Amino acid sequence: MLGRVPAMDPIAFVRATPPFDALPEDAFARAARALEVAYFPAGTRVVERDGPPLEHLHVIRKGAVRLERDGQTVQVLEEGELLGVTSLISRSTPFDVVAEEDLLTYRLPRATFEQLLLHAPFAGHFATGLADRLRNSLGRPAESDACAGADLTGEVEGLLRTAAVWIEADATVGAAARLMRHHGVSSVLVKSEPPGILTDRDLRNRVLSEELPANTRVSAVASFPVASISAGAPVYEAWQLMLERGIHHLGVVSPTGLLGVVTSGDLLRASARGPVVVIRRVEQLASRDSLPGYAALVADMARALLAGGLEPSRIAGLVARLNDALLTRILRWAEADLGPAPCPYAWIVFGSEGRMEQTLLTDQDNAIVHADDGEEARRYFAAMAELANRDLTRAGFPRCPGGYMAENWHGPLSEWRARFAGWIDNPVPDSLLAASIFFDFRPVYGGLSLAPLEELLRAAGKQRTFLAAMAKSALEFKPPAGLLLRISKGSSELDVKLSGISPIVFLARCYGLEAGSPARGTVARLDAAVEAGLIGNEVRANLAEAYRFLLWLRLREQLKRIAQGERAGNALTFSALSAAERSRLREAFRAIRDWQETAAFHYRTDLF
Amino acid sequence: MLFRSPPWDQVTYWAVDLETGGLDAKRAPILAVGMVPVRGGVIQLGEAFESLVRPYAGAAIQPDSVRAHQLVPGDVREAPPLSLVLREIHARLREGALLAHHAGIEVSFLRRAYSAMDLVWPRPRVVDTAEMLLALDRRSRFLHPDHQDGDPVLELQEVRRRLGLPAYPPHRALYDAISAAELFLVLRRRLGVRRFRDLPR
Repeated sequence: MLGRVPAMDPIAFVRATPPFDALPEDAFARAARALEVAYFPAGTRVVERDGPPLEHLHVIRKGAVRLERDGQTVQVLEEGELLGVTSLISRSTPFDVVAEEDLLTYRLPRATFEQLLLHAPFAGHFATGLADRLRNSLGRPAESDACAGADLTGEVEGLLRTAAVWIEADATVGAAARLMRHHGVSSVLVKSEPPGILTDRDLRNRVLSEELPANTRVSAVASFPVASISAGAPVYEAWQLMLERGIHHLGVVSPTGLLGVVTSGDLLRASARGPVVVIRRVEQLASRDSLPGYAALVADMARALLAGGLEPSRIAGLVARLNDALLTRILRWAEADLGPAPCPYAWIVFGSEGRMEQTLLTDQDNAIVHADDGEEARRYFAAMAELANRDLTRAGFPRCPGGYMAENWHGPLSEWRARFAGWIDNPVPDSLLAASIFFDFRPVYGGLSLAPLEELLRAAGKQRTFLAAMAKSALEFKPPAGLLLRISKGSSELDVKLSGISPIVFLARCYGLEAGSPARGTVARLDAAVEAGLIGNEVRANLAEAYRFLLWLRLREQLKRIAQGERAGNALTFSALSAAERSRLREAFRAIRDWQETAAFHYRTDLF
Repeated sequence: MLFRSPPWDQVTYWAVDLETGGLDAKRAPILAVGMVPVRGGVIQLGEAFESLVRPYAGAAIQPDSVRAHQLVPGDVREAPPLSLVLREIHARLREGALLAHHAGIEVSFLRRAYSAMDLVWPRPRVVDTAEMLLALDRRSRFLHPDHQDGDPVLELQEVRRRLGLPAYPPHRALYDAISAAELFLVLRRRLGVRRFRDLPR
C-alpha cells in the first residue's frame, strides 16, 4: 500500500480540514477551546427534516451520515467533511440526517462558528463555488518533494543577474564583443525603436561564419525586436517562450522599459531539472545510441515541476514541446538515412499527445500523411515510419497496443480524407472509436498542409447525427455511481482515467467540434463551447478545475509509482488520499455527472 | 430503593491517563498526566488538562517504561512538582467520576501520590473501560456460546482500531485520556447502559 494517513490528534485534524486551514493561528486556537467530541451510533437521527436546526458545526472524523429526503439518500458525508453548515447558516433543516455507521465528530458550537465567519478566508469557503474550492486545494501541494527545484511560479525578474547592457545601433560588432566580454554577458541590447538584441550566437553564426569584418555595424546583424517577457511573469512562462521560439535570450520588460536579459543559462541555474536541461539534452543528442534515458529525464522533470507547484496542464505543455523536439530530431535522422522525402508530408500525433495533455510518456499514437500517392512514396514513408517508431520506442515511448502507429497508418492525403469522411457519414462504433483517436490529430513535423482534414472536422461539427452518436459513446464513460456518494467503501482502487478524465475529454471533444473550434486541448475546447454559447461559464469553470484536479492526482500517483519502480498506470489508491482530497475527488465526479446529464439532453442521445 | 441512580449522561466523567516511570506504584514516579471531561455525553476537548510532572528527588525511571512514554529525565526536570499538579488533578476528580482504561493502575498511582502529599484520597467513583470490554465479551459469549475464541483484546489502540475509532499519536497522556473517553462512549452504547450504577466498575 502507498503510504498511510498519519495518526492525527483531534485539534490537528480539524486544523487540516478546509476551511479551518485558512484561519490565522490565534483565531483557530481560540476556537479550538470550544471543541468537543461527539459520538452517534449507527442509525441515530442526527437531524430531523424541518425539525430544530443543529447547534454545532461537525467535522466528521470517523463514520458517515446520509442526508435523506423522503427516504431517498441525497448525499453521504464522510471523513473530513463538514456537517451542519446549512443548519447553521440558514437555520433550516431541508434533510433528515442519519448516521449510516458509527459516527465520531469534532464539533464547535454555533457561537464559535459565527465568530469564525468574521474571517474572510473561512467564510469564503462557504460562499464560493466548486471551481474555487478545487483550485484552492491545488494551490497547496499535499507534500513537498525533496527534489523540488526552484520556485517555478516566482517572477522572472528574480532571475536577472546584471542590469541591461546597451550598445548604439551604429556601433561595430567588435565594440559589441568587447562590451560583452567586459560585462561577462552573452548578449547586448541594441538602442533602436524597437530595441534589438545581439548575442554571442549571432557573432558566431552571422559574423564569423560569414567572414564579415569586425567593423560591421551592429544593426546589420542584430535581431529586432528583442523577444521579451514581462518582469512579473512566472518563470515557467519564460521557459515556454524560449522553447516555443527556439531562442536562448529574453528581454525582461517593466512599465519603465527593458530591465535586462534572462538567458536559458539563468533558467538552468534556477532549476537543475527544468525543461531547459532536457531540451539541451535533446538538441545535443549525438546519435540514436543516446535515446534510452529520455523517458527518465522527462519523468524527473515532471516530478520537479509538480513539486514546484506547477499545474499538470502546464507541465503537459512543456512535455509536448520536448517530445516535438525529440521527434524532429528522429525524423531528421530518418531523412538523412533514406534521402529527402519524395513529396511533402506531415507527421501527426494524436490522443493525449495531439491534445498536448501528456505528462509522462504514454503509448505512441502517430501517423504519416503524404501529398502524393504512388508506389515510390508509399515505400519511402513505410521505411521512414519503421525507423521513427523504432527510435521512439528506444526513447521510452511504449508501442501502441492498438497499433495506432505510423508503421501501420501512413498514406496519401486523399486516402485520409476518404477515411475521415467515412467515419463522419457512418458513425458506427468502430468509426466513433477511430474518430475519437484521430480527430485529436496535431501535425508536428513536415510541411504538408492538413487544411482539408481540418475542413472535414468543421463539417463534422454540423452533423447532428454524428455529434449525437459521438456524445452517446462519450457518455458511456461514467464516474462510478457508488463513488458519487461514497468513496471509502467498496473497491480501494479507482481507474482515474476511465471514470474521471475520459468522460471530460470525450465530451469536450463533442462540444469543441460542435463549436467549430480547431482547438485540441480539453480546456480550450470548453472555452470554445462557452464562446459558442453551448455551455455556461460556471460549468466550464467547474469542469476545467475538476479536470486539472484529476490530472494532478493522477500525475502525483504516477510519479510515486515510478519512484518505487512500479509501472505508472491510471489506478488511484484511496487510502493514500487525504480526507480533503477524497472530498474534492467526489466533487469533481459530481461536476462530471451533472454535465453528462445536461449533455444527454443537449445531444438528445435518447433518440439515437 | 431510596434514590434512583442518575442517567449515565448526567454524570461528569474525568478521563485520566498517567505516564509513569515504571509499573510499581510504590516506587515509580508519575511523569505526565492527561485529563479530559465527558459532560452530557460529550467530550469537552477545550477543558482538557495536561502536564508533565517533575519526579521526586532520587526517583528512577525504568528503561522499560521509557519505551511506552518516551519521556527521559531531561524532559521532566523543569516540569512542575507533583504537589502542584496534584492540586489540579484534585480539583477535577472532586467533580465527578474517574474514567480510565485499566483504571486500577491510575487509581493506585494517584492514591500513592495523595498519601505522599498527606492528602485524603477523594474516593471518586471509578469507571473502567477495560472492565466494560470484559462485560461486553461475557455478554457475547453468553449470546453466542459457540464463539469461544481466546481472550478478549484489551490493548487500547487495538481495541479502538477494531471499533473503527481513529488512530491518535502515541506516547501522549492527553491523547490516551481522549482515547479512553471515546472508547467509553462507544462501549456505553454497546452495553446499552442507561443508568450510572449499571456501568461496570
